[in-house]
Amino acid sequence: SVSDEVTGDPIFGANVLLKGTSVGATTDLDGNFQIQANQGDILVFSYIGFTTQEIEVVSSVLNVVMSESQNQLDEVVIIGYGSTTVKDATGAIEKVDAEEFNGGVIVSPEQLISGKTAGVNIIPPSGQPGQAGTIRVRGGTSSLNANNSPLIVIDGVPVDQNNTPGSASTPLNSINPNDIESFVVLKDASAAAIYGSRASAGVILITTKSGKLNAPLEVTFGSYASIGSTANRSDVLSAEQFRAAINATGTPEQIALLGNANTDWQDQIFQGAFGTDTNLAISKGYDSSSYRLSLGYLNQEGVLKTSEFERLNAALTFRQNLFDNSLKVDLNIRGAFTTDDFANNSALRSALEFDPTFPVFSGSDLYGGYSEWLQDDGTPLALAALNPLGLLRQNFNTADTERFIGNVKFDYDIPFLKGLKANLILGFDYSKVDGETRTLATSAGGFLNGGSEGTYGSLRRSTLADFYLNYMTELEKMDSKIDLTVGHSYQDFYRENQSFNLTGLGAISETEFATQNSLISYFARFNYVLKSKYLLTLSYRRDGSSRFARENRWGNFLSGALAWSISEEDFLKDSKTISNLKLRLGYGETGQQEIGSDFGFLPVFTPGQDDFRYQFGNEFFNTLRPSGFDSDIKWEESSTYNIGLDFGFLENKIAGSIDYFTRSTSDVLSTISPPAGSNLTNILFTNIGDLESSGIEFSLETDIVRKEQFNWNFGFNVTYLDNEIKKLNSVDDPNSPGIATGPISGGTGNNIQTQKVGEPQNSFLVFEQVYDENGRPIEGEYVDINGDGTVDSADRRIYKNPNADVLLGFSSYTNYKNWDLNFTLRGSLGNYAYNNNDSSLGVASELNRLNSNRNILASYLDTNFQTLQLFSDYYVQDASFLRMDNITLGYNFDNILNGKVDLRLYTTAQNVFVITGYDGLDPEINNGIDNNLFPRPRTFLFGFNANF
Amino acid sequence: CESELDLEPITSQTADKVFEDPLAYKQFLAKIYGGIAINGQAAGDADIQGIDGNFSNYLRLLFTVQELSTDQAIIAWNDGTIHDIHNHVWTPANEFLSAMYSRIYFQVGMVNQFLRETTEAKLDERGVDTALRAEIQLFRDEARFMRALSYWHGIDNFGNIPFVTETDKVGNFFPEQRSRGEVFEFIESELLEIKDSLLDPRGNEYGRADKAAVWMLLAKLYLNAEVYTGVARYSDALPYIVNVIESGYTLSPNYNYLYLADNDRNGAENEVIFSVLFDGINNAGFGGTTYLTHAAIGGTMNPAEFGVNGGWWGIRTTENFVQKFADISGDTDSRAMFYTDSQTLEIEDPFNFQNGYAVTKYRNVDVNGAIGSDVSGNIVDIDFPMFRLADAYLMYAEVFVRGAGGDQATALNYVNLLRERAYGDTSGNITASELNPDFILDERSRELYWECHRRTDLIRFGQFSSQGIWPWKGNVPEGRTTESFRDLYPIPVADVIANPNITQNDGY
Repeated sequence: SVSDEVTGDPIFGANVLLKGTSVGATTDLDGNFQIQANQGDILVFSYIGFTTQEIEVVSSVLNVVMSESQNQLDEVVIIGYGSTTVKDATGAIEKVDAEEFNGGVIVSPEQLISGKTAGVNIIPPSGQPGQAGTIRVRGGTSSLNANNSPLIVIDGVPVDQNNTPGSASTPLNSINPNDIESFVVLKDASAAAIYGSRASAGVILITTKSGKLNAPLEVTFGSYASIGSTANRSDVLSAEQFRAAINATGTPEQIALLGNANTDWQDQIFQGAFGTDTNLAISKGYDSSSYRLSLGYLNQEGVLKTSEFERLNAALTFRQNLFDNSLKVDLNIRGAFTTDDFANNSALRSALEFDPTFPVFSGSDLYGGYSEWLQDDGTPLALAALNPLGLLRQNFNTADTERFIGNVKFDYDIPFLKGLKANLILGFDYSKVDGETRTLATSAGGFLNGGSEGTYGSLRRSTLADFYLNYMTELEKMDSKIDLTVGHSYQDFYRENQSFNLTGLGAISETEFATQNSLISYFARFNYVLKSKYLLTLSYRRDGSSRFARENRWGNFLSGALAWSISEEDFLKDSKTISNLKLRLGYGETGQQEIGSDFGFLPVFTPGQDDFRYQFGNEFFNTLRPSGFDSDIKWEESSTYNIGLDFGFLENKIAGSIDYFTRSTSDVLSTISPPAGSNLTNILFTNIGDLESSGIEFSLETDIVRKEQFNWNFGFNVTYLDNEIKKLNSVDDPNSPGIATGPISGGTGNNIQTQKVGEPQNSFLVFEQVYDENGRPIEGEYVDINGDGTVDSADRRIYKNPNADVLLGFSSYTNYKNWDLNFTLRGSLGNYAYNNNDSSLGVASELNRLNSNRNILASYLDTNFQTLQLFSDYYVQDASFLRMDNITLGYNFDNILNGKVDLRLYTTAQNVFVITGYDGLDPEINNGIDNNLFPRPRTFLFGFNANF
Repeated sequence: CESELDLEPITSQTADKVFEDPLAYKQFLAKIYGGIAINGQAAGDADIQGIDGNFSNYLRLLFTVQELSTDQAIIAWNDGTIHDIHNHVWTPANEFLSAMYSRIYFQVGMVNQFLRETTEAKLDERGVDTALRAEIQLFRDEARFMRALSYWHGIDNFGNIPFVTETDKVGNFFPEQRSRGEVFEFIESELLEIKDSLLDPRGNEYGRADKAAVWMLLAKLYLNAEVYTGVARYSDALPYIVNVIESGYTLSPNYNYLYLADNDRNGAENEVIFSVLFDGINNAGFGGTTYLTHAAIGGTMNPAEFGVNGGWWGIRTTENFVQKFADISGDTDSRAMFYTDSQTLEIEDPFNFQNGYAVTKYRNVDVNGAIGSDVSGNIVDIDFPMFRLADAYLMYAEVFVRGAGGDQATALNYVNLLRERAYGDTSGNITASELNPDFILDERSRELYWECHRRTDLIRFGQFSSQGIWPWKGNVPEGRTTESFRDLYPIPVADVIANPNITQNDGY
């Protein structure tokens, strides 16, 4: 019989060939075969996805264990409720394995694949340790206001897409990156449609590591230590420049406020950030069971003083095969305990604004000894900037998060029909956050209300039950293979948030919110392979969501894909040049039900808080507000067409794919103004818009050198993206400036972006700056676009947008003898950013506000602007960049303890350099509005991994 | 198992659940009254979205449209298109106008929903007892007063406006636009219907409307009828003004008591006909009088004297208003409440708080100078006098000078009562010959400044747009006249787009 090395499963349909003849056989469902052969003959065993083996016949019973092939085309790919191989895949699917992962300080797993795949952009988090990045699949432009983050499925369990406070804000960062085996990105809708109403923004399937059957005890131990520092800092006036500016523009009173010190406040708030990460994993496999246990401890300081992230996690996977391997039970439990020390981020802004002529400490004991702006009576001056170091040292915000995620899977071979399997997955996801905040009464910021103490927290709970049947058979007469999956899924979510705050004066504010939603789904997928070269996939999902009224609750999501393995045709089969050529065509429908509210279709009342009461007589009444609602609200629906070509040349030494997609989304949820009077709210979340986006993705991997001592593999991917808003209102008015979006600082209520029909999402709406002959912007002079003789808000026009036109990724893996060197580069072209830091903090009028002097950004020296020019296109700047994310150099020792130990030492540099023309702190900005003051660190680490 | 999709909200509640508690009706009514004073249900949960929650406070917006657009106030901040209001260059995209409009329809929507939830059928269904029913009937009439008040703000500011009542459904339909005159008639008919069923003047709980509030609103409607409908109805205002005046209200002994933290108990409450209530402990948010107090402080002013923890360096006034007083020190006319130290009279730079004299009217201290209930000095206690006796006196005098009724001696007496209070003696009294329309307009400005009457007054006297100049009007430092279509604000662009039934006001 023939079985799988890892699972112990019998392999059905494996080919057995008597070498040098055309005599052959195929294994049956139990993996058994019969063939006429003599002792000493050679049998060739082959099966898709597995390495072909030649075995000499030594007895009448042969038990052959086959192992998964390292050949890329035969690689198994998880596709949601099942798996396929790269060869049989019909959709735009990309898999990234552990060996391709990025190195460095990686707290949140999505960073592992940053830059690795075309069409997936992962924007790294700010400098706050422990935060996750932002993932955008194919531009993330399938929705305006609902959700543009992909659905994350961990070992078959889709995780809650809602945000929570604290570290649990991301579904991923409680997962230890070391436990992850692979990522699969279902980019196009024909692949993702099996996840129906949650798949519009793409689906990312994460598989974690597990033990293998019949494997010896393996222990891996690894650890690293890192040191990070700010890679860049904001350019503010030095104390000398600041003195000169105040002396030049200030009144005598303002000049008199100047101090004698020269303090670089950014030096005061930033630090070298140390970190360590240690991991231990133990795995072992027996005949019918296996386990893997892992433990990890990570501690990461932030470059901003007082910020720190700590995580302890443990994971256990256990497999037990029963009844002659016909029932397989997989148990998978992981838990994480994280502690976040959130630094008071207002220190970042304060470090730019606080007077550099002030010393750090005042010499008095008041307000913690920190120098602050005081009034004549010695009390703090309200609304003045606060001492940056004082803000960090006198405010505390810590959150403890516990998260458990796990599942148990049953996979049963139904005895009465060969090829039929039943699968049951029960999953859960639980997270709980307990946070505490405190502001010292003795601090300048806490002086007015006597300090404050508060708590906040959240709880997320979700449970999942999936059941599906899978039937696989081969129709030999038709040279066909059929794979049919039919199933049912149920998942529910519960969320609650609460907060409590008590000031020293006894003022209490308290909030509490709880909500729930659930999803019921039916799904089916049909795969048909003809002559191993014509492939068809059809899928269907019917989703019911509690977030919509009964009439709109159910949606159907269809997909179909065709693929033609051209290289399997006779005319190419023996080609030495072309080793793989596959054309793919796909169409898929997906939805988006993450609409931000669980009961948007129901009329409900929201009670008012105690500090929002109204008085009748001498009594105060909590109020009741009926909320606005749209009883017809339903999901957003996307239809995507995809055409792709996979290719491989010279034994796949050069391999890659190119895809073109076009996606149109209808019933896009937008926060529109409903007709006044028609509803109970002025902003209604309703299905109103149409969006379109398209893109081209190209990826290439080449083995430039493949020698015994020296290998060099180079990967490259490029994505071109485009998007346009097609419809946004019941009645579209071409003269309308669009729906204002993109709030900026520098006055309240200012928006710099607009959503306008015919334009890309989040386009900037700005004045056209007029420049003098030296190329300096002339303050307050803008082009009169509409030619009506005056320049007013009607002259703001659309100029650029934050969406990149082109995304680039480069990966290189080299090894020479025992040395290896890997790096990842990422680039972005055509993305523009509005430099809100310069526009709101780089003008002379900010030098003195509200009775106190304030430092400003040095961009003032370029513009000489006296007052805020928030809407000048001068501040909309090209933020194209090329960044080296990481570079790792490693050395592998052989022959330690007689080869029983593999030891690798490595060193990594992260965020090595950024090439950009952009003036701000960092060109990589999620929404295109640069309010970022938290520099991303540059980190160096040194570590080792050992396998026993 | 598909019933698993029929979930119930947990924190927020459906109507049936909510009204199991008999107190809910009064809490809903508190929402309607509180809609003028409070931003929303919680910090970060404002009633009006798409704009900062503090900006969307009804009273703060009313100040923006009624005062910032006139000679009485100018603002130093950089918030969105706020300067367009004073500069008379606002466009239909102005977010503050949009928010005012939204606030009006939020109020109308709340009242409509209240009326839908309190029909006989609904009360039967919920088995509401007789005593509570009688109370609810009164709530319904008061709610209708609040709807009439907001519809009045609607036609006053925006002209022809969409019209909805409790007979419409909640959804996403296109309300019809009614002419200013038609909505005027609706407001009038509503007020006439409820005027006898509300409680007698000063007979209701503090903060709730009574007959006098209805009379006052009717009188204001008729006083401005010519602007709204083209037909003058000054004489129709008179009986209601007289009703108000004869209802036992008395002038506050001191003018400044009307604007103090204890104005609900220092005697000033006897002058006030309808008040918007604020409280330092029970109200959060920076709207209403908290805004009027903080935002008016800056420069070298001492916030402690105003019972607050700091100035916001925002609103002050123009020289045109300052010049309404012969002596600005306050020593002769105590209504002249200015702060001039290190402030310039001229406004060279509108963004500089210290350009233009500051106004010291609203102060969060009691008559003894003690700070209000929020000792951190954030939120103030000052109740806002929306309708008060002094206004009724001046309305009487105005009806008289317009030749629409009343008698000269009474009119003169009412004006002089106000001036005697302001001057402390009879030295400021005027004679019959001085009682003319120009005087009335100026006197209203002196008496009622920063109480959200100015724009309506200027329009009634034809002095708002194409007549009348004050600094920065028309976006030039010295000021200029502006197009007469600016007597109406535009229908916000969002509603023009959202509702095909809407025709934009001329000129926009």
